[in-house]
Amino acid sequence: MDHVKEALAVIVGEEHVSTEPEELYIYSYDLGTTEPRRPDYAVAPRTTEEVRRIVELANQEKIPIVPLGGGLSLAGLAVPLQGGIALDLKRMDTIIEVSEKARYAVVECGVSQGQLTAYLEKNHPNLMHSEPGAPPQATIAGNVAIHGQGDLAQPYGFNSDMVNGLEVVLPTGEVCKFGSCAVGANWYTQHPLPDVGLFLGWAGTTGIITKVSLKLYPRKKIQGVGQFVVEDEELIPEIIYRITHTEAAHDVVAFSQAIPPFASGLHHITINLSADSEKELDFKMELIFDDTLGEYIRSGDGGFLGFNRGLQRPQISKTADWRKGGGFEYVGAIMPVETYPQCYRRGREISERHDIPYTVLGRVIGMSHAMMFSWTYAFNRADLETIRQAREALHETDDLALELGGTIWKPGIYGQKLVLERIDPNTLKLMKKVKQLLDPNGIMNPGNWEVS
Amino acid sequence: MTLTSYKYADTIHRCFRCGYCKFPTNWADVNNCPAYARFRMETYSCGGRLWLIRAWLSNEIEWTDHLAKIMYTCTACKNCEEKCPLRFNVDIMNMITAVKGEMVERGLIPSQVKDFLENIQRQGNPYGKARAKRGEWTEGIEIPKYKGQDFLYYVGCVGSYDTRAQETARTLGKVLTKAGVSFGVLGGEENCDGNEVNALGEETLFEMMAEENVTQFKELGVQKIVTLSPHSYNTFKNDYPLHDGNFEVFHYTQALRDLIQGERLDVSRGLNTRVAYHDPCFLGRWNGEYDAPRMILNAIPGIELVELEKNRAGALCCGGGGGNFYTDFLGGSESSPARIRAREAYDTGANILAVACPNCMTMLEDAVKAEGLEDKIDVKDISEIVVEATGIA
Amino acid sequence: MDVVVCIKRVPDTADVVEIDASGNDIETDGLAFKINDWDEYALEAAVQLTEKQGGSIIAITVGPKEWDDVLRRALAIGADRAIRIDQDMVTADCYAVAKVLEALIRNLSYDLVLFGAQSEDFGSAQLGVMVAELLGIPHASLVVSLQVDQTTARIKRELEAGTLEAYAVELPALLTIQTGINQPRYISMAGIKRAMSKELQVISLSDLDLTQETLSPTVMLEKLELPPKDKKAELISGSPEESAEQLARILQNSGIF
Repeated sequence: MDHVKEALAVIVGEEHVSTEPEELYIYSYDLGTTEPRRPDYAVAPRTTEEVRRIVELANQEKIPIVPLGGGLSLAGLAVPLQGGIALDLKRMDTIIEVSEKARYAVVECGVSQGQLTAYLEKNHPNLMHSEPGAPPQATIAGNVAIHGQGDLAQPYGFNSDMVNGLEVVLPTGEVCKFGSCAVGANWYTQHPLPDVGLFLGWAGTTGIITKVSLKLYPRKKIQGVGQFVVEDEELIPEIIYRITHTEAAHDVVAFSQAIPPFASGLHHITINLSADSEKELDFKMELIFDDTLGEYIRSGDGGFLGFNRGLQRPQISKTADWRKGGGFEYVGAIMPVETYPQCYRRGREISERHDIPYTVLGRVIGMSHAMMFSWTYAFNRADLETIRQAREALHETDDLALELGGTIWKPGIYGQKLVLERIDPNTLKLMKKVKQLLDPNGIMNPGNWEVS
Repeated sequence: MTLTSYKYADTIHRCFRCGYCKFPTNWADVNNCPAYARFRMETYSCGGRLWLIRAWLSNEIEWTDHLAKIMYTCTACKNCEEKCPLRFNVDIMNMITAVKGEMVERGLIPSQVKDFLENIQRQGNPYGKARAKRGEWTEGIEIPKYKGQDFLYYVGCVGSYDTRAQETARTLGKVLTKAGVSFGVLGGEENCDGNEVNALGEETLFEMMAEENVTQFKELGVQKIVTLSPHSYNTFKNDYPLHDGNFEVFHYTQALRDLIQGERLDVSRGLNTRVAYHDPCFLGRWNGEYDAPRMILNAIPGIELVELEKNRAGALCCGGGGGNFYTDFLGGSESSPARIRAREAYDTGANILAVACPNCMTMLEDAVKAEGLEDKIDVKDISEIVVEATGIA
Repeated sequence: MDVVVCIKRVPDTADVVEIDASGNDIETDGLAFKINDWDEYALEAAVQLTEKQGGSIIAITVGPKEWDDVLRRALAIGADRAIRIDQDMVTADCYAVAKVLEALIRNLSYDLVLFGAQSEDFGSAQLGVMVAELLGIPHASLVVSLQVDQTTARIKRELEAGTLEAYAVELPALLTIQTGINQPRYISMAGIKRAMSKELQVISLSDLDLTQETLSPTVMLEKLELPPKDKKAELISGSPEESAEQLARILQNSGIF
């Protein structure tokens, strides 16, 4: 056994380190089109203290660390580009605290989305968090770290806007706290203390988040989804603008896809509503579907497809099966809402040119401040040609997002380069300084956001 | 063997490794795959296993002991097949069994699995205990030998040889007698049903065993079978018809439910206690029977039936399937699924953790002890609860 | 690399053994039988050799018709053909068996003859060594490690307390194989069925120019007894550490570890 493995086994226990080819094989892979790269160690710690000791060891031995939660970035952000330690954080799955009064939850970095949802439903039915569309295995911390968005993005913003505090293990091994928890108070607010911007959106290159305090929101008794449909994509930005003006809705998502065939060319908008009484629900329905969207219905430009009670968790994994193929990847970009029509048209064209049934979706963030627009490309894992096509389509789409005046969300290596090329040079210099300051040995998820 | 001759070569690539397979019905935690709960490395989840199968069969990785162990930590609990959102999910259990079959044929199996199978080949039970002793569980009670009665009461290997499960086998016999059921047992002439052998991938051995049993049953004129174990129930009901064995098969909880509802079994004496019921995988997820055991417990006055948080199709497997009650790949840790389940049962505040399967019985009783909970909660078979409620000595 | 492997059929030790009415044999009614454990290691060793270097394996046994099943198993494990000398010779007299085996083996072409180090029933550990002497070839017993080339077998023998002794033995040679030398592979039912088509030859003593008289025993088993049952209970007291130490010592001294 090499001395690093021995040292890791001392820290986490023999059972939680592996250098077996099987573990290394699986941890090489992102679920999308990213080429696999093999780690040297797969390690699953249980506590912040264990993480700290692992980071110290990695600094000593100059071994890269790649932290992962669910590993579901679908952009290759947890692929060990330069080998090293694949740090599977999912054993750190304790929900530490939920405050009803201040509406927040403090969780360890391995707590999954599904786990928090189930916990709140059972123990705090008046509270909910903004749950992303990813499979329930995705972690709270991972999602926050990449600026994810969930079903409360409209009106409340990115999940990273919902952070009250963090506990982070720095690349040099110190454990830091950010937010009110840093001064010994409860984890109820980030502001006005110096912000945590050093760890969100950096793809794990500046440290390992070990705890998150996440804002929670009211969960009303009645939850449901109203559906609206239009044919003309040019109408979408205005519709979204008007819906958000009402301040009466939650998640607003506009999407269009080739499958099922009847949906092709149409644009569906789902609008989540919640209410504590039928009166409240009726009021909101009237406000949105009569007062706001009524004119589209009357002019025949739009149709109301009904309101269904209950929030269904979307199973986006099903997209993976569209080419009977076990895989898909998407470009997510944060785009101005007004770009929806071009995003749709240009994206559809790219898909069709690559023989992939098109799937586009725009989730509104904030009060129409932006939307997360995704172009999804399914592929057949057993057919390398389809993987190549998907990869090409993804790269073209990365280019497209920037061309249309947007910015790529959680980009993989290709997208990172495009963004880095365009970033303000002084900003770039600062990013490099920050990175060098925090991670002098360059061990944190190297290969990502490398500023040369 | 290359990928092209693997039966599921066309679909093995369809797993997205999205992770739904690890969850119970409500995503309360990620520990609903018993092997993943134990080891918490991605390789032990169903998705990990499927990707590794594909990697091995296309020569991207080589066979190792570790690979074999990963495959054989699968307890065949079917949680993954239930939870997978993709259309190929109906084949998931078969995909894993097929690769185990491949390993069996090449002799590339862990030594514990080898012992299990060789013990069955030699002595007709996985423990390797003497075949001659198979009927000893009947000693000390009046239990009729099968001679053409209405029902064959089939006990299985665990019930015949494991001391705790033997108690269950006897108790059920008493209950059936008290209810006036016309039944008989095979005792020393009973042979292993083969369900685990099948799950371990030894297809030819299973076929042989099934054919021998079918021949024996037919010669004896068996038409209806009531089983102690859901494992036997599963294979007699679903696999034996493919070997010309068409019998009417009941799990004993279905029989007891009918007897209670038909007023042939009087449980009015009742039992004052709080009971949590653990759904066995081969009765629940494999065969959709969640209600019969609950009806029995609800019919007994004084029993407060509480649900484990993960129940019915979301139940956590005790970790005993796929031969693991013998090979014990999932033991030795507080993360062992049986120990997790014992803690979950304790959390319900129940006095009794009710089981309907001799494998679950042995796994969970050991787990309760390992957790130091033996003074707080008892593991009892449903037949034992019924016996108390009917006042049978 | 041509290998001859001699195997024996023994009762499954899971079964309770009882002395029969005669007092000098065991009750065989209801017993399950199997291939002698040590012989499985010998067969596995032979198969690993021929898998690497080519060649053939002949499995041999001396026994009545029931003993065909262990030969079938040997064929399933990888022997190319099998020979049964049709004679019931379960006996304390190894020398007689050795004479029979030697009479057959001397006419076979072989580089190596393998035996299990001992049998599970009589456990005398003599047969292989006797056959080697009768054949006039070098032998080594209790072999736990084996490497063979065209002319030489490099072996290690197991002594006490983990000590190993290394030898180079000139071929042709006879080795008795100790358990632990390898991990015998699992033989599936399908594999056993496929082996049914391999050759299993039955020959008699007269085919070997032997008669019952030439084999009259020089060692006779007079009586079999079960060991006396001793009831003894010892209560261990003290702190957990102290009792654990005591218990460990007792177990070690009893030979269990």
